[in-house]
Amino acid sequence: MRDARLEFRCCYEYRSGFRLDAEFTLEGGICALFGPSGSGKSTCLSLIVGLLKPQAGAIRMGDTVLVDCAGGHCIPSHRRRIGMVFQDHLLFPHRSVAANLRYGMARSGEGTIRFDEVVDVLELGDLLDRYPAQLSGGQQRRVALGRALLTQPRLLLMDEPLNGLEEALRDRILEHLQRVHEHWQMPMLLVSHDQVAVRRLAEHVVVLERGSVVDQGPVNQTLDRATLQTLSTHPGPTNLLRIEQVHQVGDHSAGRIGDQPFYLRGRVPSSTVYVRCAPSDVALVLEDVPVISMRNHLRGSVCDIVCVSSESAGEVVYVAIDVGQVLWAQVTPSACREMGLQKGTRVVCLIKASAMDLVT
Amino acid sequence: MQGFWLDASEWQAVCLSLRVATVAVLCSLPPATLLAWWLARKDFPGKSAVETVLNLPLVLPPVVTGYLLLVLFGTQGWLGRVLDQWLGVRIVFTWRGAAVASAVIAFPLMVRAIRVALAGMDARLEQTALTLGAHPIRVFFTVTLPLARHGLIAGAILGFARSIGEFGATIMIAGSIPGQTRTMPLYIFTAIESPDGIARAQRMVIVSILIAAGALIVGEILERRARRQRAMR
Repeated sequence: MRDARLEFRCCYEYRSGFRLDAEFTLEGGICALFGPSGSGKSTCLSLIVGLLKPQAGAIRMGDTVLVDCAGGHCIPSHRRRIGMVFQDHLLFPHRSVAANLRYGMARSGEGTIRFDEVVDVLELGDLLDRYPAQLSGGQQRRVALGRALLTQPRLLLMDEPLNGLEEALRDRILEHLQRVHEHWQMPMLLVSHDQVAVRRLAEHVVVLERGSVVDQGPVNQTLDRATLQTLSTHPGPTNLLRIEQVHQVGDHSAGRIGDQPFYLRGRVPSSTVYVRCAPSDVALVLEDVPVISMRNHLRGSVCDIVCVSSESAGEVVYVAIDVGQVLWAQVTPSACREMGLQKGTRVVCLIKASAMDLVT
Repeated sequence: MQGFWLDASEWQAVCLSLRVATVAVLCSLPPATLLAWWLARKDFPGKSAVETVLNLPLVLPPVVTGYLLLVLFGTQGWLGRVLDQWLGVRIVFTWRGAAVASAVIAFPLMVRAIRVALAGMDARLEQTALTLGAHPIRVFFTVTLPLARHGLIAGAILGFARSIGEFGATIMIAGSIPGQTRTMPLYIFTAIESPDGIARAQRMVIVSILIAAGALIVGEILERRARRQRAMR
């Protein structure tokens, strides 16, 4: 998909002094910009869609130059054919759902993405005569998505597609986004500070911090690294583990992390799930204990050790263990010394099943 | 005392006032809307200077505004001369002069009302419309205007009422020619000065009150209808 290739190289400085200076290339599919709030993700979207004009640099999409400061060239927003779904939807309050959906069709006309099909895929049939104020947050998001799709965009941008939705709704929106991608092969670029959303949707991720690109690559590896890097600026790491091939075994569920088994309590909705657990709930032993009440034993080797001292907790040590994914354990400095932990040390991580939260 | 029916000259004054106010509002509403949009949405160097000039008629004595208009539109004034020579249109001492005076005096009030409405609507709806492929002109008519409609109504009503009451600038640029430029306020003033004019003045005062109240009621009805439509959604 040569047409969906996006080359982005822009500088933009706000009057407040915040400066975005980022360069990345996306090859299509579903991509994500990831980073904490205020890292410049939304600014990138505004630059791509043309609501902001860079002070230097250029953006190219396929063979089209969207903007090039050196050449003094800039296609205005309304001729870029790039769809954008804003975080707060921004439906037109004075138009019905049907009129909102049709707004962008005036220019693009009926193309490969047809009105009836969009209504069908996004399940909007019952909402067409209503007005935005009568819709729930999830419904508004679907209408905004449909409205953007009906402009026949060659790229769809989404600002925090899952933010502010209840857990049950997030699943449905994700499902809809995946359907949209499969149905029309629509290249998408989403912006999120939410790891779960990015991991579940995107294939390729660009990590932004304070206005510049700090990392990019395939989503899982890159985000594992990103967690390592942001540790210094955050209160502490959280673990987000991807469990695959989950199936029901009696009253609990069993899945795998890499080639190691992993057990979860109760029923689990799908075959790939994410679980969150605090580093303080992860215990480390140097040699596996064969019989113990904790069921989850993950073997791995230490890949990083970070000392953090805070006024409330004193000095704590976070140990990153590569168990196929990165898992953080919190230990005391003395435990760390006595165990002789250093990079490369082989350890076994023990996690209580009750300490884990299933993330949807 | 005479009956409460208006005589011919009084009717003339009422009709003239209505015509002057209507023309003044219709002519200044589009530029007022554009200027309000520009001021509400854009930041540019010299913005405060533009705002100052715009609001001058609000704080200047109307007679001073009228004098300046007389200088500008008089047959020797540069704008007046152009209009006279090129289009054969005379402004000074005609009903058009009264309309110009009303429009200039009412203009800042209208801009203000419309600007408040524009500032109250989410400007990102306009940006959204752009990303949906709509040309900026289409965005203005399909998103901006409908959502700022109550501001336009308020501005028009305010401008109309102010035009009906215009006195100082009107007498400077248009004079007080019976049947041509003698609008209701001028008529009342002239009547009061003449012997046994009290009754005429009183009738005109009552008509003025009725027109002003009528304008407010029409505005209220339109506003309420707009609000009801919004609440229904």
